[in-house]
Amino acid sequence: MKTRDRILHTSLALFNEEGEPDTTTIDIANELDISPGNLYYHFKGKDQIITELFQQYEQAMSHTLRAPIERPLSPDRGSVEDNWYYLYVVMEEMYQYRFLYHNLDNLLQRYPDIKRGFKRLIQLKRTALYAICQTLLQQEVIDAKDQQLLGLADNMTLNLTFWFSYDTLLHDNRSPQVTIHQGVLQLLTMVAPYLGDDELSFYHSCETIYVNMLADTG
Amino acid sequence: MSDEKSKVTDKASEIAKNIWLAGVGAYGKAVEEAQGRLEKAMEPPKLFRDLVKAGAALEEDARESTLAARHTVEERINRVRENFHNQRPARIEDLMALHKKVDQLNRKVDQLSKALTEQGVGKTSRSKTHKTAKKSVVAATAVRTRVSKKQTKAVIVARKKTSSGKPATSKRKA
Repeated sequence: MKTRDRILHTSLALFNEEGEPDTTTIDIANELDISPGNLYYHFKGKDQIITELFQQYEQAMSHTLRAPIERPLSPDRGSVEDNWYYLYVVMEEMYQYRFLYHNLDNLLQRYPDIKRGFKRLIQLKRTALYAICQTLLQQEVIDAKDQQLLGLADNMTLNLTFWFSYDTLLHDNRSPQVTIHQGVLQLLTMVAPYLGDDELSFYHSCETIYVNMLADTG
Repeated sequence: MSDEKSKVTDKASEIAKNIWLAGVGAYGKAVEEAQGRLEKAMEPPKLFRDLVKAGAALEEDARESTLAARHTVEERINRVRENFHNQRPARIEDLMALHKKVDQLNRKVDQLSKALTEQGVGKTSRSKTHKTAKKSVVAATAVRTRVSKKQTKAVIVARKKTSSGKPATSKRKA
Protein backbone atom coordinates (compact mmCIF):
# COMPACT_ATOMS: atom_id res chain seq x y z
CA MET A 1 0.00 0.00 0.00
CA LYS A 2 1.25 3.49 -0.82
CA THR A 3 1.94 5.82 2.08
CA ARG A 4 -0.84 8.09 0.94
CA ASP A 5 -3.38 5.25 1.04
CA ARG A 6 -2.05 4.05 4.33
CA ILE A 7 -2.58 7.50 5.80
CA LEU A 8 -6.19 7.52 4.63
CA HIS A 9 -6.76 4.01 5.86
CA THR A 10 -5.31 4.63 9.31
CA SER A 11 -7.10 7.96 9.65
CA LEU A 12 -10.42 6.31 8.92
CA ALA A 13 -9.76 3.65 11.54
CA LEU A 14 -8.76 6.24 14.16
CA PHE A 15 -11.69 8.53 13.37
CA ASN A 16 -14.08 5.63 13.70
CA GLU A 17 -12.58 4.28 16.89
CA GLU A 18 -11.47 7.40 18.76
CA GLY A 19 -13.75 9.96 17.16
CA GLU A 20 -12.72 12.51 14.59
CA PRO A 21 -12.45 15.54 16.94
CA ASP A 22 -10.10 13.65 19.28
CA THR A 23 -7.73 12.56 16.55
CA THR A 24 -4.88 14.84 15.48
CA THR A 25 -2.49 14.53 12.56
CA ILE A 26 0.21 13.75 15.13
CA ASP A 27 -1.87 10.79 16.33
CA ILE A 28 -2.22 9.58 12.78
CA ALA A 29 1.51 9.92 12.10
CA ASN A 30 2.34 8.13 15.37
CA GLU A 31 -0.03 5.32 14.60
CA LEU A 32 1.61 4.86 11.21
CA ASP A 33 5.09 5.26 12.64
CA ILE A 34 5.93 8.02 10.18
CA SER A 35 7.08 11.56 10.85
CA PRO A 36 4.50 14.36 10.87
CA GLY A 37 6.57 15.92 8.10
CA ASN A 38 6.02 12.88 5.96
CA LEU A 39 2.31 13.09 6.58
CA TYR A 40 2.25 16.78 5.64
CA TYR A 41 4.05 15.91 2.45
CA HIS A 42 0.99 13.92 1.39
CA PHE A 43 -1.78 15.93 3.05
CA LYS A 44 -1.91 19.58 4.00
CA GLY A 45 -3.73 18.68 7.18
CA LYS A 46 -6.61 16.87 8.78
CA ASP A 47 -9.11 18.85 6.71
CA GLN A 48 -7.79 17.40 3.52
CA ILE A 49 -7.81 13.89 4.92
CA ILE A 50 -11.42 14.22 6.03
CA THR A 51 -12.47 15.68 2.72
CA GLU A 52 -10.86 12.85 0.82
CA LEU A 53 -12.35 10.21 3.05
CA PHE A 54 -15.74 11.74 2.45
CA GLN A 55 -15.17 11.70 -1.29
CA GLN A 56 -14.36 8.01 -1.09
CA TYR A 57 -17.50 7.44 0.90
CA GLU A 58 -19.72 9.46 -1.37
CA GLN A 59 -18.47 7.66 -4.43
CA ALA A 60 -18.92 4.19 -2.95
CA MET A 61 -22.26 4.97 -1.38
CA SER A 62 -23.79 6.62 -4.40
CA HIS A 63 -22.85 3.60 -6.48
CA THR A 64 -24.58 1.35 -4.01
CA LEU A 65 -27.62 3.59 -3.84
CA ARG A 66 -28.04 3.75 -7.58
CA ALA A 67 -28.50 0.00 -7.90
CA PRO A 68 -32.18 -0.21 -6.87
CA ILE A 69 -33.00 3.00 -8.73
CA GLU A 70 -31.80 1.67 -12.03
CA ARG A 71 -33.31 -1.73 -11.83
CA PRO A 72 -35.39 -3.53 -9.19
CA LEU A 73 -33.23 -5.62 -6.89
CA SER A 74 -35.89 -8.29 -6.96
CA PRO A 75 -37.00 -9.07 -10.51
CA ASP A 76 -39.99 -10.97 -9.17
CA ARG A 77 -41.79 -11.73 -5.95
CA GLY A 78 -39.70 -14.82 -5.34
CA SER A 79 -36.55 -12.81 -4.72
CA VAL A 80 -38.19 -10.09 -2.65
CA GLU A 81 -35.86 -10.80 0.28
CA ASP A 82 -32.99 -9.38 -1.74
CA ASN A 83 -34.41 -5.97 -0.91
CA TRP A 84 -33.95 -6.63 2.78
CA TYR A 85 -30.44 -7.96 2.27
CA TYR A 86 -29.69 -4.80 0.38
CA LEU A 87 -30.45 -2.80 3.53
CA TYR A 88 -27.63 -4.66 5.25
CA VAL A 89 -25.32 -3.79 2.39
CA VAL A 90 -26.12 -0.09 2.74
CA MET A 91 -25.77 -0.11 6.49
CA GLU A 92 -22.50 -1.99 6.42
CA GLU A 93 -21.13 0.57 4.04
CA MET A 94 -22.25 3.39 6.31
CA TYR A 95 -20.66 1.64 9.24
CA GLN A 96 -17.29 1.68 7.53
CA TYR A 97 -17.40 5.48 7.63
CA ARG A 98 -19.40 5.84 10.82
CA PHE A 99 -17.30 8.71 12.15
CA LEU A 100 -19.17 10.96 9.72
CA TYR A 101 -22.46 10.10 11.34
CA HIS A 102 -21.27 10.34 14.91
CA ASN A 103 -20.46 13.98 14.65
CA LEU A 104 -22.64 15.00 11.79
CA ASP A 105 -23.81 18.52 12.64
CA ASN A 106 -20.40 19.66 13.70
CA LEU A 107 -18.76 18.17 10.65
CA LEU A 108 -21.23 19.69 8.22
CA GLN A 109 -20.77 23.11 9.79
CA ARG A 110 -17.04 22.97 9.37
CA TYR A 111 -16.99 21.61 5.83
CA PRO A 112 -19.39 23.19 3.34
CA ASP A 113 -18.25 20.80 0.62
CA ILE A 114 -19.06 17.79 2.71
CA LYS A 115 -22.39 19.35 3.54
CA ARG A 116 -23.27 19.60 -0.12
CA GLY A 117 -22.15 16.05 -0.75
CA PHE A 118 -24.06 14.80 2.23
CA LYS A 119 -27.23 16.44 1.00
CA ARG A 120 -26.80 14.73 -2.35
CA LEU A 121 -26.36 11.42 -0.59
CA ILE A 122 -29.49 11.87 1.51
CA GLN A 123 -31.54 12.67 -1.56
CA LEU A 124 -30.16 9.65 -3.30
CA LYS A 125 -30.85 7.54 -0.26
CA ARG A 126 -34.51 8.43 -0.16
CA THR A 127 -34.82 7.96 -3.91
CA ALA A 128 -33.31 4.49 -3.57
CA LEU A 129 -35.63 3.60 -0.71
CA TYR A 130 -38.60 4.99 -2.59
CA ALA A 131 -37.65 2.92 -5.63
CA ILE A 132 -37.50 -0.18 -3.44
CA CYS A 133 -40.90 0.59 -1.91
CA GLN A 134 -42.32 1.21 -5.35
CA THR A 135 -41.05 -2.16 -6.58
CA LEU A 136 -42.57 -3.85 -3.55
CA LEU A 137 -45.87 -2.16 -4.30
CA GLN A 138 -45.77 -3.20 -7.94
CA GLN A 139 -45.04 -6.77 -6.97
CA GLU A 140 -47.87 -6.58 -4.45
CA VAL A 141 -45.57 -7.40 -1.57
CA ILE A 142 -46.82 -4.33 0.25
CA ASP A 143 -50.11 -2.56 0.10
CA ALA A 144 -49.98 1.20 0.54
CA LYS A 145 -51.17 4.42 -0.97
CA ASP A 146 -48.71 6.52 -2.89
CA GLN A 147 -48.60 9.26 -0.30
CA GLN A 148 -47.93 6.72 2.42
CA LEU A 149 -45.12 5.37 0.33
CA LEU A 150 -43.40 8.76 0.21
CA GLY A 151 -43.72 9.05 3.96
CA LEU A 152 -42.40 5.55 4.41
CA ALA A 153 -39.35 6.27 2.26
CA ASP A 154 -38.66 9.43 4.27
CA ASN A 155 -39.02 7.65 7.59
CA MET A 156 -36.67 4.94 6.46
CA THR A 157 -34.13 7.49 5.27
CA LEU A 158 -34.35 9.31 8.60
CA ASN A 159 -33.85 6.09 10.49
CA LEU A 160 -30.99 4.98 8.33
CA THR A 161 -29.19 8.31 8.59
CA PHE A 162 -29.33 8.67 12.36
CA TRP A 163 -29.32 5.06 13.39
CA PHE A 164 -25.71 4.93 14.53
CA SER A 165 -26.00 8.03 16.73
CA TYR A 166 -29.17 6.69 18.26
CA ASP A 167 -27.69 3.27 18.84
CA THR A 168 -24.58 4.72 20.47
CA LEU A 169 -26.67 6.99 22.70
CA LEU A 170 -28.74 4.07 23.90
CA HIS A 171 -26.19 1.30 24.15
CA ASP A 172 -22.74 2.91 23.96
CA ASN A 173 -20.60 0.62 21.87
CA ARG A 174 -22.18 -2.61 20.77
CA SER A 175 -20.83 -5.14 18.35
CA PRO A 176 -21.23 -4.00 14.75
CA GLN A 177 -23.31 -7.08 13.94
CA VAL A 178 -25.89 -6.24 16.59
CA THR A 179 -25.99 -2.57 15.67
CA ILE A 180 -26.44 -3.26 11.99
CA HIS A 181 -28.89 -6.06 12.43
CA GLN A 182 -31.08 -4.04 14.73
CA GLY A 183 -30.89 -1.12 12.32
CA VAL A 184 -32.24 -3.29 9.54
CA LEU A 185 -34.86 -4.69 11.88
CA GLN A 186 -36.01 -1.15 12.67
CA LEU A 187 -36.33 -0.37 8.97
CA LEU A 188 -38.35 -3.53 8.49
CA THR A 189 -40.56 -2.58 11.41
CA MET A 190 -41.60 0.44 9.38
CA VAL A 191 -42.42 -1.68 6.35
CA ALA A 192 -44.09 -4.44 8.38
CA PRO A 193 -47.55 -2.82 8.70
CA TYR A 194 -47.81 -2.84 4.92
CA LEU A 195 -46.55 -6.37 4.46
CA GLY A 196 -48.66 -9.37 3.63
CA ASP A 197 -48.52 -12.55 5.72
CA ASP A 198 -45.96 -14.21 3.44
CA GLU A 199 -43.34 -11.61 4.01
CA LEU A 200 -44.02 -11.34 7.70
CA SER A 201 -42.23 -14.63 8.16
CA PHE A 202 -39.04 -12.93 7.05
CA TYR A 203 -39.66 -10.19 9.56
CA HIS A 204 -40.13 -12.76 12.30
CA SER A 205 -36.92 -14.50 11.30
CA CYS A 206 -35.18 -11.16 11.63
CA GLU A 207 -36.60 -10.71 15.10
CA THR A 208 -35.50 -14.17 16.18
CA ILE A 209 -31.99 -13.60 14.90
CA TYR A 210 -31.86 -10.38 16.87
CA VAL A 211 -32.97 -12.08 20.07
CA ASN A 212 -30.35 -14.79 19.53
CA MET A 213 -27.69 -12.17 18.92
CA LEU A 214 -28.51 -10.42 22.17
CA ALA A 215 -28.42 -13.72 24.01
CA ASP A 216 -25.02 -14.53 22.49
CA THR A 217 -23.47 -11.22 23.40
CA GLY A 218 -24.97 -11.54 26.87
CA MET B 1 -69.41 17.59 -3.99
CA SER B 2 -67.34 14.74 -2.67
CA ASP B 3 -65.99 14.44 -6.18
CA GLU B 4 -64.74 18.02 -6.00
CA LYS B 5 -63.20 17.25 -2.68
CA SER B 6 -61.30 14.22 -3.86
CA LYS B 7 -60.07 16.19 -6.84
CA VAL B 8 -58.59 18.74 -4.50
CA THR B 9 -57.01 16.02 -2.41
CA ASP B 10 -55.55 14.42 -5.50
CA LYS B 11 -54.13 17.71 -6.59
CA ALA B 12 -52.64 18.31 -3.16
CA SER B 13 -50.97 14.96 -3.07
CA GLU B 14 -49.69 15.49 -6.57
CA ILE B 15 -48.09 18.75 -5.52
CA ALA B 16 -46.61 17.17 -2.44
CA LYS B 17 -45.20 14.43 -4.55
CA ASN B 18 -43.62 16.83 -6.98
CA ILE B 19 -41.97 18.68 -4.17
CA TRP B 20 -40.69 15.43 -2.80
CA LEU B 21 -39.36 14.31 -6.12
CA ALA B 22 -37.85 17.67 -6.95
CA GLY B 23 -35.67 17.34 -3.89
CA VAL B 24 -34.03 14.44 -5.51
CA GLY B 25 -31.85 16.84 -7.44
CA ALA B 26 -29.27 16.28 -10.08
CA TYR B 27 -28.74 12.59 -10.19
CA GLY B 28 -29.22 12.36 -13.91
CA LYS B 29 -29.95 9.08 -15.54
CA ALA B 30 -30.44 7.07 -12.43
CA VAL B 31 -33.17 9.32 -11.14
CA GLU B 32 -34.79 9.59 -14.51
CA GLU B 33 -35.02 5.85 -14.72
CA ALA B 34 -36.48 5.66 -11.27
CA GLN B 35 -38.92 8.34 -12.24
CA GLY B 36 -39.83 6.32 -15.31
CA ARG B 37 -40.64 3.34 -13.18
CA LEU B 38 -42.50 5.28 -10.57
CA GLU B 39 -44.61 7.42 -12.78
CA LYS B 40 -45.35 5.24 -15.74
CA ALA B 41 -49.04 5.92 -15.73
CA MET B 42 -48.79 9.59 -14.86
CA GLU B 43 -47.71 12.69 -16.71
CA PRO B 44 -44.21 13.44 -15.40
CA PRO B 45 -44.11 16.62 -13.35
CA LYS B 46 -42.52 19.48 -15.22
CA LEU B 47 -40.44 20.80 -12.36
CA PHE B 48 -38.85 17.47 -11.85
CA ARG B 49 -38.08 17.11 -15.52
CA ASP B 50 -36.21 20.38 -15.50
CA LEU B 51 -34.14 19.27 -12.57
CA VAL B 52 -33.31 16.04 -14.26
CA LYS B 53 -32.27 17.98 -17.33
CA ALA B 54 -30.00 20.15 -15.24
CA GLY B 55 -28.30 17.08 -13.89
CA ALA B 56 -27.81 15.46 -17.28
CA ALA B 57 -24.17 16.46 -17.39
CA LEU B 58 -23.41 13.98 -14.66
CA GLU B 59 -24.99 11.23 -16.67
CA GLU B 60 -22.11 10.09 -18.85
CA ASP B 61 -19.71 9.78 -15.99
CA ALA B 62 -22.09 7.86 -13.81
CA ARG B 63 -23.18 5.41 -16.45
CA GLU B 64 -20.02 3.44 -16.91
CA SER B 65 -19.24 3.07 -13.27
CA THR B 66 -22.75 1.95 -12.39
CA LEU B 67 -22.42 -1.27 -14.33
CA ALA B 68 -19.46 -2.34 -12.27
CA ALA B 69 -21.14 -1.10 -9.12
CA ARG B 70 -24.27 -3.08 -9.82
CA HIS B 71 -22.14 -6.16 -10.00
CA THR B 72 -20.61 -5.60 -6.60
CA VAL B 73 -23.96 -4.74 -5.04
CA GLU B 74 -25.34 -8.05 -6.24
CA GLU B 75 -22.31 -9.87 -4.94
CA ARG B 76 -22.69 -8.22 -1.58
CA ILE B 77 -26.38 -9.04 -1.44
CA ASN B 78 -25.45 -12.67 -2.07
CA ARG B 79 -22.98 -12.60 0.77
CA VAL B 80 -25.54 -11.13 3.16
CA ARG B 81 -28.12 -13.68 2.06
CA GLU B 82 -25.77 -16.52 2.81
CA ASN B 83 -24.90 -15.11 6.17
CA PHE B 84 -28.56 -14.57 6.96
CA HIS B 85 -29.50 -18.11 6.07
CA ASN B 86 -26.89 -19.43 8.46
CA GLN B 87 -28.46 -17.51 11.30
CA ARG B 88 -32.06 -17.91 10.34
CA PRO B 89 -34.12 -20.20 12.53
CA ALA B 90 -35.38 -23.26 10.69
CA ARG B 91 -38.91 -22.77 9.45
CA ILE B 92 -41.50 -25.50 9.08
CA GLU B 93 -41.48 -25.07 5.31
CA ASP B 94 -37.71 -25.44 5.25
CA LEU B 95 -37.89 -28.58 7.32
CA MET B 96 -40.62 -30.05 5.15
CA ALA B 97 -38.64 -29.32 2.01
CA LEU B 98 -35.63 -30.95 3.59
CA HIS B 99 -37.63 -34.04 4.51
CA LYS B 100 -38.85 -34.29 0.97
CA LYS B 101 -35.35 -34.06 -0.35
CA VAL B 102 -34.13 -36.72 2.04
CA ASP B 103 -36.95 -39.03 0.95
CA GLN B 104 -36.02 -38.53 -2.67
CA LEU B 105 -32.43 -39.20 -1.81
CA ASN B 106 -33.35 -42.40 -0.02
CA ARG B 107 -35.32 -43.63 -2.97
CA LYS B 108 -32.44 -42.92 -5.28
CA VAL B 109 -30.00 -44.76 -3.06
CA ASP B 110 -32.38 -47.72 -2.84
CA GLN B 111 -32.75 -47.84 -6.59
CA LEU B 112 -29.05 -47.61 -7.00
CA SER B 113 -28.21 -50.45 -4.62
CA LYS B 114 -30.99 -52.55 -6.12
CA ALA B 115 -29.64 -52.04 -9.61
CA LEU B 116 -26.19 -52.94 -8.41
CA THR B 117 -27.28 -56.16 -6.73
CA GLU B 118 -29.32 -57.22 -9.76
CA GLN B 119 -26.41 -56.69 -12.06
CA GLY B 120 -23.95 -58.55 -9.90
CA VAL B 121 -21.06 -56.30 -10.70
CA GLY B 122 -17.41 -57.16 -10.07
CA LYS B 123 -16.36 -57.69 -6.48
CA THR B 124 -14.00 -54.77 -5.95
CA SER B 125 -16.06 -52.10 -7.65
CA ARG B 126 -19.24 -53.28 -5.95
CA SER B 127 -17.88 -53.01 -2.47
CA LYS B 128 -16.61 -49.55 -3.32
CA THR B 129 -19.94 -48.27 -4.62
CA HIS B 130 -21.76 -49.95 -1.82
CA LYS B 131 -19.71 -48.12 0.69
CA THR B 132 -20.58 -44.77 -0.86
CA ALA B 133 -24.23 -45.60 -1.02
CA LYS B 134 -24.19 -46.70 2.58
CA LYS B 135 -22.57 -43.47 3.62
CA SER B 136 -25.31 -41.46 1.93
CA VAL B 137 -27.95 -43.47 3.70
CA VAL B 138 -26.28 -42.87 7.02
CA ALA B 139 -26.04 -39.17 6.29
CA ALA B 140 -29.61 -39.08 5.11
CA THR B 141 -30.97 -40.74 8.22
CA ALA B 142 -28.95 -38.42 10.35
CA VAL B 143 -30.71 -35.48 8.75
CA ARG B 144 -34.05 -37.14 9.20
CA THR B 145 -33.66 -37.42 12.92
CA ARG B 146 -32.14 -34.06 13.61
CA VAL B 147 -31.91 -31.15 11.23
CA SER B 148 -29.23 -28.58 11.67
CA LYS B 149 -26.86 -26.60 9.52
CA LYS B 150 -24.14 -29.23 9.61
CA GLN B 151 -26.46 -31.99 8.63
CA THR B 152 -27.85 -29.97 5.77
CA LYS B 153 -24.32 -29.92 4.50
CA ALA B 154 -24.24 -33.71 4.88
CA VAL B 155 -27.26 -33.97 2.62
CA ILE B 156 -25.50 -31.96 0.00
CA VAL B 157 -22.40 -34.10 0.34
CA ALA B 158 -24.49 -37.26 0.20
CA ARG B 159 -26.34 -36.00 -2.80
CA LYS B 160 -23.12 -35.22 -4.59
CA LYS B 161 -21.89 -38.70 -3.86
CA THR B 162 -25.02 -40.34 -5.19
CA SER B 163 -24.92 -38.36 -8.34
CA SER B 164 -21.27 -39.15 -8.86
CA GLY B 165 -22.09 -42.82 -8.35
CA LYS B 166 -24.70 -42.70 -11.07
CA PRO B 167 -22.66 -42.36 -14.21
CA ALA B 168 -20.49 -45.21 -13.02
CA THR B 169 -23.49 -47.54 -12.99
CA SER B 170 -24.70 -46.47 -16.39
CA LYS B 171 -21.25 -47.00 -17.75
CA ARG B 172 -21.28 -50.52 -16.51
CA LYS B 173 -24.70 -51.03 -18.02
CA ALA B 174 -23.37 -49.98 -21.38
